[in-house]
Amino acid sequence: MPQQLQWYASTLSHYVGAAVAIVALMWLTNRGLRRLGLRGDAAMGLALVVPWLLGFLIWNAGPIVASLYFSFTDYNVLQAPKVVGLANYEKLISGDPNFWPSVRLTMAYSALTVPIGLVGSVAAAIMLNQGVKGIGLWRTLYYLPAILPAFVTALLWRLMFLPTRGGLVNSATEPIWSLFSDKPPGWFLDRDMLLWGFVIMSFWGVFGANTVIVLAGLKNIPRDLYEAASVDGAGVLARVRHITLPQLSPTLFYLIVMGIIAAVQVFDQPLFIQLPPGSPTFLNVYLYQQGFTLFQMGYASAIAWFMFVIILVLTLAVFRSSTAWVYYESEAKR
Amino acid sequence: MVAMERRRWALPTITLSIVLIAAACGSGGGTAAPPGGSGASAGTGASPAGEKVTFRLTTWAGEDEAKELQELVLDKINAEATDFEIVHEPAPADYYTKLQTTIAGGTGADFMWLSQEYVAGYASRGALLDLTAHLAAVDNPAAKLDGYFPDVIKPAKYQDKVYGLPWIAQPVILYYNPKLFDAAGIDPPDDTWDWAKFRETAVELTKDDQYGFTANGWPPIQQFIWQAGGEVITDDLSSSPIDSPEAMEAVEFYKSLVWNEECCPTEETITEQGFGEMFKAGKVAMFMGGAADTFDGLDVVGATVVPKGPENRANLSYVAVTAVNSATKNPELAAKALAALTDGIHHWKIVAPRPELATAEVILASIPEKWKAQKEGQVDAIVAATEEMRAFNVIPRHQEWDGLFWSEFQDPVFHDKSAPAEAAPTAREKLEGLLP
Repeated sequence: MPQQLQWYASTLSHYVGAAVAIVALMWLTNRGLRRLGLRGDAAMGLALVVPWLLGFLIWNAGPIVASLYFSFTDYNVLQAPKVVGLANYEKLISGDPNFWPSVRLTMAYSALTVPIGLVGSVAAAIMLNQGVKGIGLWRTLYYLPAILPAFVTALLWRLMFLPTRGGLVNSATEPIWSLFSDKPPGWFLDRDMLLWGFVIMSFWGVFGANTVIVLAGLKNIPRDLYEAASVDGAGVLARVRHITLPQLSPTLFYLIVMGIIAAVQVFDQPLFIQLPPGSPTFLNVYLYQQGFTLFQMGYASAIAWFMFVIILVLTLAVFRSSTAWVYYESEAKR
Repeated sequence: MVAMERRRWALPTITLSIVLIAAACGSGGGTAAPPGGSGASAGTGASPAGEKVTFRLTTWAGEDEAKELQELVLDKINAEATDFEIVHEPAPADYYTKLQTTIAGGTGADFMWLSQEYVAGYASRGALLDLTAHLAAVDNPAAKLDGYFPDVIKPAKYQDKVYGLPWIAQPVILYYNPKLFDAAGIDPPDDTWDWAKFRETAVELTKDDQYGFTANGWPPIQQFIWQAGGEVITDDLSSSPIDSPEAMEAVEFYKSLVWNEECCPTEETITEQGFGEMFKAGKVAMFMGGAADTFDGLDVVGATVVPKGPENRANLSYVAVTAVNSATKNPELAAKALAALTDGIHHWKIVAPRPELATAEVILASIPEKWKAQKEGQVDAIVAATEEMRAFNVIPRHQEWDGLFWSEFQDPVFHDKSAPAEAAPTAREKLEGLLP
């Protein structure tokens, strides 16, 4: 058998073997649970969950626990880790001059992209909700950028943000920047401008995806609320403030939480767009560089856990604040 | 009755499950090892009598390069060898990430390509096999270390032990566009040029949308520092004297070129039009590149050695090495196979890192048919450049050192944020903190 074909056959047999093993495991689980006295559908449900549970334990929970352990070690990936206590966390807090600039850049990016993206997508969704003809087409068009691979987006925006007068963005905005400077903005070549380049780029995909979700939220708002408000003499602004936004608040809550997580973890675009040497990079890219370029997986794991804490704190803050501004109909009825 | 029936099926079912799970999670995890490749963890286990031992080779070769490697090198070696076979597993994307993770996971290939900057790092972390004794026992010209250019074998060593064999030593040469020289009525560069003549001509050739030269960190500043008699990492790896008078002279000269509109495109223009692309488009008259570089769109490309500095004409040699995984199970045979593989590549790549093969005839024979017309006239320059090529002095934390050298020294100097003499002492202190 030709070598390549033999390899494919061998690989395929592994996959088939794994699939059969999983089915057998589910069957055994079902039988075992039934013997232990569990009802038929409960045993079946748990048996069906087993593959996912195993996958979660092996591919998620395992690495999470391992990375927590690595964060307390000096681990270069090629040799066994050596426990160093809190050294990685000490380095991160006070011994690494590049870490906090990365944190600042990532936080600034999150602080700008999440609210601006949200306001923009709500505005776009409200416009699209005004009985526009061919709504399906518009929705598709708005969502289209979100399905493009990140590197395509990065290449596209890198071209648009070329730092010369001939760059598309610079040429279109020349009347504005020429008021302040003879030189066009350097965007990704300029440490002071690169944040804005990434912020603008972020709207490309997020805007579309969020707009579609908000639009779905708007469609779910009962029409009779607006009719009743109109009868009571409420204007457009009053209707948006007292009906649209409260009714939409669960959707916005979801988008804020997901937006914060995505913004803090931004990775693909900054990896594909070369930043000026010496400039801070985003936290996730910095983590990747430490782990895979500089062989400091222990330190990279500490950074990952620091990121986790940031995301946790921000998410908890949004959750805690939600009682003040998120409207749940079920709670209102209570 | 029903209970009995259940029990009868339970044992075979459990056995079947265990076997299947073991098969699914077994060698190679279902992904890595190709046929015969015993697997991974380097290696290729013992060979039952009469069977060839399979060694896995991982490289960054793209589709075309991998095809050439297979057809021009591996097929021949595999046909001739009676006791081993080399199977190629190219990984053109994210090569080093994959390499690192497969080694860590115990499924790393037996042989791996490493750029010169990586060997010390991998060797110091125990990932590579010390080949010093094994190679001494191999009867193959590629296994004889004294057959290599002395400076080129250096990056394959760490603490005086050999961890791989260089398969390429590509010197930097000066390419030029004869049409632009003719149009300006200027004689093309030759081996009499020095820094002053080079810069002066680059300025002369710069007009409108045309530039005499281009630099943006490439060619590497190290080459100029060496030409002035300085060092960035000393031979004993104990210091980084980037603030020496020799280094300062080189840095000042380099700074007079990089992104300087008098002779070269600005950083913005390079970002817009592409670094090498500008030379290919006929917008740049002179370009320093590797000896194997080819240029689409240009019929004729002249080449000569790089201009001479105050002390010498040193040029950076791009050296890559094939190293052996320390977990390989058959080190003696691996050394033999490595030598055969390396010798095969020496007859394929430009330029072989051995003086006996770095000749005009061998280089001519190695040029692919497609590029013969463009490269034939460059062969003399390539051979001449090998005489003064040199490799980096490499340390285990070389990537970190390199990043710092750029961010703490070159970047601020090139962007006029610091004067060279001001930035160098501070940068030196930080760089020396990374030396072994």
